[in-house]
Amino acid sequence: MTEAIQKTVQPIGVATAALETKRLSAWFGDLHVVKDISLTVEKNDVFSLIGPSGCGKSTFIRCLNRLHEETDGARVRGEVLIPGAGKRENIYAQGVDPVSIRRRVGMVFQKPNPFPGLSIFDNVAAGLKLAGVVRRNVLEEIVEISLVQAALWDEVKDKLKKPGTSLSGGQQQRLCIARALAVRPQVLLMDEPTSALDPISTARIEELVMKLRSDVTVLIVTHNMQQAARISNQTAFFLMGELVEVGPTKSIFTKPKDSRTEQYITGRFG
Amino acid sequence: MSNPVPAHQVLARRNLGDRIFFLALRAVSIGTIALFIGMLIFIGKLAWTSVEAQGFRFWVGDDWNPPMDIFGAAPFIVGTLASSLIAVLISAPISVGTALFLREIAPRKLANVVAFLVELLAAIPSVVYGLWGVFVLAPIMRDTIQPFLAKWLGPDTYFAAALGHGMTAVAYPFLLVADTLGLTEVTLVSLSANMMAVSQGLFDGPPLGLGLLTSGLVLSIMITPTVTALSREVLLTVPDTVREAALGLGATRWEMIKLALMKTARAGLVGSIILGLGRAIGETMAVTMVIGNRNEIPKSLFEPAQTMASVIANEYNEADGMHLSSLAFVGLSLFAVSLIINFLARTLIRYLNRGSRA
Ligand SMILES: Nc1ncnc2c1ncn2[C@@H]1O[C@H](COP(=O)(O)OP(=O)(O)OP(=O)(O)O)[C@@H](O)[C@H]1O
Ligand SMILES: [Mg+2]
Repeated sequence: MTEAIQKTVQPIGVATAALETKRLSAWFGDLHVVKDISLTVEKNDVFSLIGPSGCGKSTFIRCLNRLHEETDGARVRGEVLIPGAGKRENIYAQGVDPVSIRRRVGMVFQKPNPFPGLSIFDNVAAGLKLAGVVRRNVLEEIVEISLVQAALWDEVKDKLKKPGTSLSGGQQQRLCIARALAVRPQVLLMDEPTSALDPISTARIEELVMKLRSDVTVLIVTHNMQQAARISNQTAFFLMGELVEVGPTKSIFTKPKDSRTEQYITGRFG
Repeated sequence: MSNPVPAHQVLARRNLGDRIFFLALRAVSIGTIALFIGMLIFIGKLAWTSVEAQGFRFWVGDDWNPPMDIFGAAPFIVGTLASSLIAVLISAPISVGTALFLREIAPRKLANVVAFLVELLAAIPSVVYGLWGVFVLAPIMRDTIQPFLAKWLGPDTYFAAALGHGMTAVAYPFLLVADTLGLTEVTLVSLSANMMAVSQGLFDGPPLGLGLLTSGLVLSIMITPTVTALSREVLLTVPDTVREAALGLGATRWEMIKLALMKTARAGLVGSIILGLGRAIGETMAVTMVIGNRNEIPKSLFEPAQTMASVIANEYNEADGMHLSSLAFVGLSLFAVSLIINFLARTLIRYLNRGSRA
């Protein structure tokens, strides 16, 4: 793409981009694990991140809700822009409160992590309560909607008072998705959400992600190439902390421009 | 398999090792149980004359008068429970707070140094704490802290009045029930008078330095390192994934501590506090040095008192006959108190833990 074309494309990007990173870098101590990543995720995309183990995918998406900096010795440089209050906002700008960012950019982790002390209901309501919602009927309504969205409602509607940890692994992961959805995030980050799950639970979560895209923009890290091909419309390939290639999922998988991408998706390394 | 030794022989050899290990373990555990039962039998036999002579009255009698052969252990039971309770009330918030600070706020390096120092403190012998209590803390208590407390919490203060009314309000419903059942003759007026007397007397009396409050303080300082170290271990077992779940939902640090750390670890935190309580209940040396050793139920926190452990330490030397037997009975009772508290703690922990195991 030439400069000129980029300029003409930009306004449309501004209107619809759900998230854009500009020269984003991240470190663990002296270890530079995310290197100068610039990419744009459009609104209502399902955007998948693929790449060999240790290439920095998790670190990258943990930068997108300012969770990376919670690790001892972790550092970030660069910009992450998300739409907010009429204009786009850099979440790393000075004075931005990470807490407010994390309410707008939700996260689902690789291992299901419901709060051990809380019931199913309270797990889903946790984020709402943090945001100051106290009215019981409002909580009940949003909890139900979120559990329906996460395709878990039918299984748990009769035992909302049971502990969240009493569910199966797949159910727990859907509970965590419901918990993340309950606060209505603009963007949902998912770090290998199905890697600990059986094929049926995996299929349900994939289905769910595809349904979600009308409401929320999803970034999903996956090691499962078929999964990326099935559910995402955009794919980025990472290698050793660098962004090698990004584009429509179909073209990444059928005619990759970079030979390293081709090697990876045909299973020759990683 | 390329193993030259036939598989069943390898298995047999491994089984032999297993068998020896198993037998050794069994011998050790049976030995432990036998030792425990043996000790119980020994104390039980020693205490038997006293148990036969006094029975349950032993625990409610408030007069301990060896020359007259009168033995009531209530002063010691009260002393033990009161000093341990003071210790835990002071120590628990400090310990859990320190553990949270080390886990969440202090930089990693500082946390490690502090944790190491805390563990060192736990290794100081109790006689050293006792000496410190007698020569450093007691004078400070006498000259500064007790006069201050008497001024703000003592008789005829707002605190004493409010506490007395509060205790009356809490006790009144029980009184009503007991009254309807015809179990008691106590009236609201006399209940209120009694509660007032207790609350007015709590910080009353001459500041002596040595006494119930001082021993509670020394105990709290003694158990704080243990409870802190245990609480820290408990907090470290909360997986990072749970903390990140809270942070990822937009919890502030403090909200994350409440939502993820405390809720997940509460059973373990209670457990570590109970272990501290157990240590306070059984502690002998330091308490004997600072509690003042008076065989009466204390009416004020400033008064000297006696615990179950300290009365044994004080008197076993010149005791014989019924006196010695009664001391053994005190020992048995101390053991029973520890067991009861342990049992209650387990129940509480099971209650707190319900559901958090899948
Ligand atoms: N807490 C940490 N401290 C130091 N280095 C870390 C830490 N976490 C990850 N790393 C390093 O950062 C690099 C990127 O890790 P990251 O977890 O982002 O990879 P990933 O692409 O998500 O891998 P995977 O597919 O296995 O999940 C790796 O080299 C890893 O060793
Ligand atoms: Mg990862």
